[in-house]
Amino acid sequence: MQATGRPFRYDVVVVGAGHAGCEAARACARLGLKTAMVTMNLDLIAQMSCNPAIGGIAKGHLVREVDALGGVMGEVTDAVGIQFRLLNTSRGPAVWSPRAQCDKKLYRLRMREVLEKEPNLRILQAEVAELLITGGERRVRGVALRDGRVLESDAVIVTTGTFLNGLAHIGEATYTCGRSGEPPSNLLGNQLRSLGLEWKRLKTGTPPRLDGRTIDWSRFEPQDGDPDPTPFSFLTARIDRPQVRCYVGFTTEETRRIVREAIPRSPLYSGQIQGIGARYCPSIEDKFVKFPDKPRHQIFLEPEGLDTYEVYVNGMSTSMPIDVQTAMIASIPGLEAAEMVRPGYAIEYDAIDPRQLSHSLEVKTIPGLFLAGQINGTSGYEEAACQGIVAAMNVACRAGGMDPVFIGRTDGYTGILIDDLITKGADEPYRMFTSRAEFRLHLRIDNADERLTPIGRKIGLVTDQRWQLFLRKREQKAKLLELMKRIRVEPDKAVDRPTLLQWLRRPEGSVNGLGAWAEAALGEAPIREVLSSIEVEAKYEGYIAQQERQIERLRRAEERRIPEEFCYSRLPGLSREIREKLERVRPSTLGQAARIPGVTPAAIAVLDVYLSLGAPVTTQQG
Amino acid sequence: MAARLRRPAPRRAAANADSGVNLSDTIVAVSTPPGRGGIGIVRLSGQDSRRIASQILRFPKPPEWKPWTAALAELVGPDGHTVDQVVVTYFGRPRSYTAEDVVEISCHGAPVVLRYAVERACDAGARLAEPGEFTLRAFLNGRIDLPQAEAVRDLIEATTLYQARIAAQQAGGAVSRRIAPLKEQLLELIALLEAGIDFAEDDIPVASDEEILGRIGPIAQGLSALAESFAYGKLVHSGFTLAIVGRPNVGKSSLFNRLLEQERAIVTDIPGTTRDMVSEVAAIDGIPVKFIDTAGIRSGQDRIEALGIERSYQAMADADLTLVVIDLSAPVEAVDLELVERARRQGRCLLVGNKSDLPWRAEIAEDITAVSALTGEGIPALRRAIAESIVPAGLNCEAGFITSLRHERLLRDALAALEKARAAVAERIPHEMLLLDLYAALQAIDAITGATTADDILNRIFSTFCIGK
Repeated sequence: MQATGRPFRYDVVVVGAGHAGCEAARACARLGLKTAMVTMNLDLIAQMSCNPAIGGIAKGHLVREVDALGGVMGEVTDAVGIQFRLLNTSRGPAVWSPRAQCDKKLYRLRMREVLEKEPNLRILQAEVAELLITGGERRVRGVALRDGRVLESDAVIVTTGTFLNGLAHIGEATYTCGRSGEPPSNLLGNQLRSLGLEWKRLKTGTPPRLDGRTIDWSRFEPQDGDPDPTPFSFLTARIDRPQVRCYVGFTTEETRRIVREAIPRSPLYSGQIQGIGARYCPSIEDKFVKFPDKPRHQIFLEPEGLDTYEVYVNGMSTSMPIDVQTAMIASIPGLEAAEMVRPGYAIEYDAIDPRQLSHSLEVKTIPGLFLAGQINGTSGYEEAACQGIVAAMNVACRAGGMDPVFIGRTDGYTGILIDDLITKGADEPYRMFTSRAEFRLHLRIDNADERLTPIGRKIGLVTDQRWQLFLRKREQKAKLLELMKRIRVEPDKAVDRPTLLQWLRRPEGSVNGLGAWAEAALGEAPIREVLSSIEVEAKYEGYIAQQERQIERLRRAEERRIPEEFCYSRLPGLSREIREKLERVRPSTLGQAARIPGVTPAAIAVLDVYLSLGAPVTTQQG
Repeated sequence: MAARLRRPAPRRAAANADSGVNLSDTIVAVSTPPGRGGIGIVRLSGQDSRRIASQILRFPKPPEWKPWTAALAELVGPDGHTVDQVVVTYFGRPRSYTAEDVVEISCHGAPVVLRYAVERACDAGARLAEPGEFTLRAFLNGRIDLPQAEAVRDLIEATTLYQARIAAQQAGGAVSRRIAPLKEQLLELIALLEAGIDFAEDDIPVASDEEILGRIGPIAQGLSALAESFAYGKLVHSGFTLAIVGRPNVGKSSLFNRLLEQERAIVTDIPGTTRDMVSEVAAIDGIPVKFIDTAGIRSGQDRIEALGIERSYQAMADADLTLVVIDLSAPVEAVDLELVERARRQGRCLLVGNKSDLPWRAEIAEDITAVSALTGEGIPALRRAIAESIVPAGLNCEAGFITSLRHERLLRDALAALEKARAAVAERIPHEMLLLDLYAALQAIDAITGATTADDILNRIFSTFCIGK
C-alpha cells in the first residue's frame, strides 16, 4: 500500500458503521477520544440489513443496557419506531422485553444525525485496506485506507459485520459482497486471515422483500402495537407517534411441497454453503427439512418504513433459487399475486474466534486491536451494539491508563454475552437468550439503569441529564418504598388492612391504580417503571433473594483469580485435552474456567487445589 | 455456578498449604484392610514407583516392567536376606488406579511383613500416603468421578461380599444410570418452559399447569423411590443390629450360636466394644447383621442382675430388630409378655419360640417362629423372617439403590425443590421463577451425575422446537 500525504492522527479508528461501529464511535467520541469512523458508504450508516426491528426477548434487555451505559441505540429506536410491543407480558416482569418495528431509512438518518453532532467524531467514506501493526511487539498503530491515506491511532475497533470476505448465495448463483449490492471487504479480510488469528466461516440469511401493494392483507391476522408503547431509553418519557400494523400468516402444504422438491437446488443442502448458520434462525428450507412433521410455519409481514411499500417477510429466510422463492411466496394465502422486490439470500463471512479476546474485547496477542459485533461470531443488531460500547469504554480506559471496565455476568446480559464469547467461543452465530442468564430475575429491563448507569457514569459516558434522572428515579423508588412500608391499604382492598407493600406481595396486589397516590406522595409524577419495579421486587422477594445469594456465590468464584502466566502444563492430573482448552482461553478466574465447555468439575477441583496451594507447581508429572 | 466448584478435599488443600505436602511425591501404603488376611498388598503410586520397587525387591531376572503383568520377586532386607516371596504387578500410567505409575506388591498377609515393606519403600524415597490419598489422586487426575470415588471408599470398607458387589456396581455408575432417565425428563420440562419464555413469539405450545404438574409427578416419584432405597442401602452399607432377649435359660445363647455358625467363617473382624454382652457379626442375605446376646431377664432380681437387665433393655432400644425368645417347653410367664410388649413399643420385633424339639407347653396368642437351637429345626425359616424384616416392604432392590448419605441428601434436596415447583404452579407463579425451583432440583441431580450447562438446555430446545423467524 502506497501511503499518500501526511498521515492523519486519531486516538482511535472505528472500522465500520453498523450497529457496533455506531455505538463504539459515539462512545469513544463522548469519552473525549479523537475518533475516526470509516465506512464504505456514508449513506448506509446504521443500516438494518435484516429485519426492520430492534429488541425482542433478551435483545430488548441488551438495548436497555446499552442505553443505561450512555449508548445511543435506545434513543434512536424510540425516535424512529413505528410499532412498539412489550413481549412476554403473560410471564413475569423479569422476562418482559420491548421490541419495536422501525422505519429503516429514518433509523439510518437519525443515527447519522446523532453521530454528526459529536465534536470529537470524524466520519469518513473509504475502504480500510489494512491494519497497521508494528512488527516485533505486534501492536496496532492505525489503518491504511485503500485510497492511500493512512490514519494513525493507538487503538482500532474493527466492526466489519458480514463484510470480511463476504460471499452471498441465491440458489446456484454466488457473488462476493458485504451485503446485497455492496462490495465486500476482501483486502482487510485477507490481512486478518494472515495475522495468525483463529477464524472461521459463519453464515446468516435474510428473507425476500415484497411490494406491499401486491399483498392481499385481508388474508392475514393483524398484529397491533401496544396502546402505551414501552420506550427503550430511560430518557424517553413517552412515545405518542401513531403506530403501524404487522400481519401474521402461515405457510401451506403447497409451500412445503415446493421447498422439499427444490432441496437439491438449495445451496444449504448441496454443499455450496460451508459456513455455519444459527439454529435459532433457520431458513425456511431448514425448517421443513429438520421438522418434517410440522405442516406449516408462521410468517410475519413487517413494513420496512412509513414511506415505502417494501415489506419484510419474517420467518422466510432463504437462499433458494429465485424461481423457487417466487413459487414459495405465491403458495401463501394472500401472497398469490405478491411481487418480490428483493430476493432472500444467504451470506458467508469471516469471523474471528472470540476466545482470543479479553473481557475488554481486545485481541490478547495484538494490543490496541478491539473487535465488536458479527466479527466476534454474534448475530443481531443489539448484540453488536453492546459490544461496540464495551469496546469503546475499554479503548478509553486503555488510553487513560486505567483498569479495563468489567461488566460481569451478574451485571447484565452484556456481561453474559462477552463472557460466553471469550470463554466458549461461537460455534454458530451467537444470539442472546434469557436462558443464558443464571440470574434472570435480577437482570430486568426496569433495573438496567441501577445495574449499569453507575458504571457508565464512572467512566464518563453518562451525561448529567441522564445521571440526574437516574438519581431522581432512585430517590422516588426509595421514598415510595418507605411509604409503602407504613401506609395501610383501605379495607375495601383487604379487610385485614396490610401495609401497601405487604398487599403488593399478594396475588391480587398491583401498582395499577397507584399512580395518582404516588404522584401526590412524591409531589411529582413517578418516573416510568418506578412503581412496577417496586411491585416486581416486592412480589418476587423470595425468589430474588434466592438469586442474590447465588450471585454472591458466583462472585466468590469470580474473585478466585488465576494468574495470567499460570502454567497449566506443569499441573499434574489434567488431561491434555482439558489443558489445551484452558490454555486456549486462559481464564482470568476460577469461575470463568468452570464455564469453559469440556472442563470438568474434577479439573476445576484440581485447579482449585493448586490455586489454594499458593505455590507454583515445580515438577512435571502425569 | 458456585456449586460446580466442588472441592474434593478442601481440608487436604489447606493441609497442603501448611505442610508443603506435594502431590507429585511417590506414595506408599498397605492397600488391603488392616488385620490378618491371606495376602496383603502394598501399593506404590507416583513417578518413582518402579525405581523404589526395584530397590526393595530382588527379581530372579531384571524386571521388564511390562504393564498389567505379574512377576515373582522377593522382598529383601538391606543386608539382602529374604523376608517374603511376593508377586509384583505394574500398572503403567495413565491406565492405573491413580492414573500415575503404580506398582502393587502382593505379600503374605502378616501385618509385620506389610509394615516392613512399607518401611523399606519409605527408606527408598516413598512418602507414606495420607488416608484416602490414592483415591484423591485418582479423582484429581480425572480417573474417577465423585460418585465413583465415594463408591471406591465403600468398596475398600466393605465387610461382606454382597457389600463389595454393591460398591462395585456403584463404582460402575449404577446410580448415575438410574438417575439418568429422571434427569432427562427434568431437562425436557425445563427446555419446554425455557422455549416458552425465550421464543414466546414463535409458534410454540404454552405449557399448561396440568402439563407441568403431570411432568413433575413421575420425576418426583422416581427420585423419591431412589431416595427411599437409601433405607435399604444404608443397611447394606452400615449393617443392621439385632438383639436377642428373653428370660434366662430360654436358649438365647444357643440360638445366637446357631444363627452365627454358618456365617462366622466369612465374617471379618469388626472392631468395637461389646460392653459385657456378647456380639458377633454375620451376614444375612449379604447384609452384615450384628447379633447381640443379652443377659436373661426375670422379675425380682438382685442389684447386680438389675444392672444386666438395664443393659439388655438398652440393647433392645438400640437394635433395629429384637428377637424375643420364649421357651416353648415351659408355660408363658408374665415377663415374656412384658418383653414382647416392650420390644414392640421400641420398634420391630420377632417372637421366637425355642426348644420346639421338646413337648410344647407354652400357649401364646401371637405369631411365633418355632425353632430348635439344639436340632437346627426352624432356623432357616427364622433367617428368612429376619431377612424379610430387614428389607423394607415393597422395595425393589434389584433395580438399584443408593448407599451414600450424600446421594440421599441430594435426592431429598431435589425432591424439596420439585415440591416448591409444584406449589409455585398452584400459585400461578410465572414460569421464569418456577424454573428456579426446577434448576435447583437439576443442580442437586447434577451434583450426583455431572453438570448441565445453559447450552445443553438450548440444544434441547433447538432440537425439539422449530425456533426462529
